[in-house]
Amino acid sequence: MRILALDTATSATAAAHLDTATGTEVQARDDPPPGVRPRHTTKLISLLTEVLQRSGSDWAELDRIAVGVGPGTFTGLRIGVATARALARAHGVPLVGVSTLQSLALGAAGAEATSVVMPVLDARRGEVFAAAWPARRSASSCWDPLLAPLAVTPQSLAELAPQLGADRLAVGDGSVAFRAVLECSGTRVPEDDSELHRVSAINHCRLAGGQPPQDPAGVRPQYLRLPDAELARRATQRK
Amino acid sequence: MAHRRGEIDIPRHGLILAIETSCDDTCAAVVDDEGRIRANVISSQGIHDRYGGVVPEIASRHHLELIGDAVDDALAQAQLKLPQVGLVAVTRGPGLVAALLVGLATAKALAAAHELPLAPVDHLHGHIAASFLDGSGLEPPFVSLVASGGHTFLALVRDRGADYEVLGQTLDDAAGEAFDKGARLLGLGYPGGAALERLARDGDPASFEFPTAAGLRGLDFSFAGLKTALLYRVRDLGERETERRRADLAAAYQRAIVEALAVRAERALAQTGLDKLAVGGGVAANGALRDRLAQLGARLDIPPRQLCTDNAAMIAGAARYVPAIRYPDYFELDVYATGERPLSA
Ligand SMILES: [Zn+2]
Repeated sequence: MRILALDTATSATAAAHLDTATGTEVQARDDPPPGVRPRHTTKLISLLTEVLQRSGSDWAELDRIAVGVGPGTFTGLRIGVATARALARAHGVPLVGVSTLQSLALGAAGAEATSVVMPVLDARRGEVFAAAWPARRSASSCWDPLLAPLAVTPQSLAELAPQLGADRLAVGDGSVAFRAVLECSGTRVPEDDSELHRVSAINHCRLAGGQPPQDPAGVRPQYLRLPDAELARRATQRK
Repeated sequence: MAHRRGEIDIPRHGLILAIETSCDDTCAAVVDDEGRIRANVISSQGIHDRYGGVVPEIASRHHLELIGDAVDDALAQAQLKLPQVGLVAVTRGPGLVAALLVGLATAKALAAAHELPLAPVDHLHGHIAASFLDGSGLEPPFVSLVASGGHTFLALVRDRGADYEVLGQTLDDAAGEAFDKGARLLGLGYPGGAALERLARDGDPASFEFPTAAGLRGLDFSFAGLKTALLYRVRDLGERETERRRADLAAAYQRAIVEALAVRAERALAQTGLDKLAVGGGVAANGALRDRLAQLGARLDIPPRQLCTDNAAMIAGAARYVPAIRYPDYFELDVYATGERPLSA
């Protein structure tokens, strides 16, 4: 199976191609330097075209397109999902939405021994997007989370973490940003410059291989948070 | 500097698929080489009323939900398959960045999929280009007045390209915004421009004096003072009296907006020595404005309402007269919120 994947949930723009028959992996990514805004809009299509070319594949040969549905930056998610839907539609390739957090979990569990993986992304405004899965070395169809993706303060996450299991590894830019809080709760966090913190679309490919294709319109960003205006409106209604 | 395009060297692209998502309408259209509209799909989100204005994040979420169907519907109505399209056009700005990005991502991916060229279109050029559709409209040069909830400006249109010259623009609120804010002060809800116009029919426009920014020389507009004047007047009158004289207030308020627009349109015609005036934007649907502009003695062109409000057919209309970018040179294209439109893309 030939799978093309992309992720724009974090500041990175990540693309990958996996041929499951040969195990051949091709990746390309753009990580903006500190202080530079994400370059999803300008880099995404180039990176996808690049991995497709380098893998010697072609749009017509693809069996799946996988897109990271977050959670993550709203604008980034929309660019990714809009691009993936349009490409899938234009080429008649089945589309699969993949949890960006689960992809991080798969990457970490495959690389480091632990019993629980806890991907944590910085959600800004003092919150993180987080989830937890029992560690697995490979993707399989029934891999249910111990903690479903949610938006939460790092403190609250640290408080509920011990219930998930004794041996926990947190990865993702949120675990770096809130390292102190998480480590206090007994959760391990790899070195700041560890590859495990970066979203890699090759893990999307691995996850997507085991998933049935979805209706493209049903592949939606996992926002996890209401727009501010809606929160404000509900707050006034309650008064 | 201005990138001038003659009228002769219009590249032939065949059918144009256009996408427009700069504000709160999710739009897709198909227009042919002659400017004939084959499909013009407008998905109005209708969700922003409850917030009293367009919320960028909410508009963007809806664009993503609606854009796929809008494109499918436009292609189906035009009885077209994507590979038969010759050019993809998309609004690049000005507008809400997050909203524009949904349209741009979709347009780039659709174009790239079939290695089609892509034409980035300036939204305001699109409003002017509504006059170039369906074989109607004016031959340049003419003066264009565009007034909507998002923009209000006068332009000198020398040819059909994107190098129209802005003669004047609003320094604060847009005319449509002034209508909506006035409507809200009169308890008509949001958006209330149409309701205000209906109410004004039963009122006397001379009953109150509202400012038309007459002191503002030249061709720029200002509507912020008008809104404040209405606010004070409503406060002075008190609740009961305001209620009793609502129609008069609406009529006088509307007259002030119409005068502000008409006086400057007249000045622009005099200044340019032209006798042709095209009107666009949602406010062009206002009957009082149409009547007033008809008195200017210029040849008037007002496209049908669905081409005055935001739509993608006008974006396709403009795309016929801008340089298209070849595959794959548009991969790095970005949107812009405001400010100077890049003229020679
Ligand atoms: Zn507009």
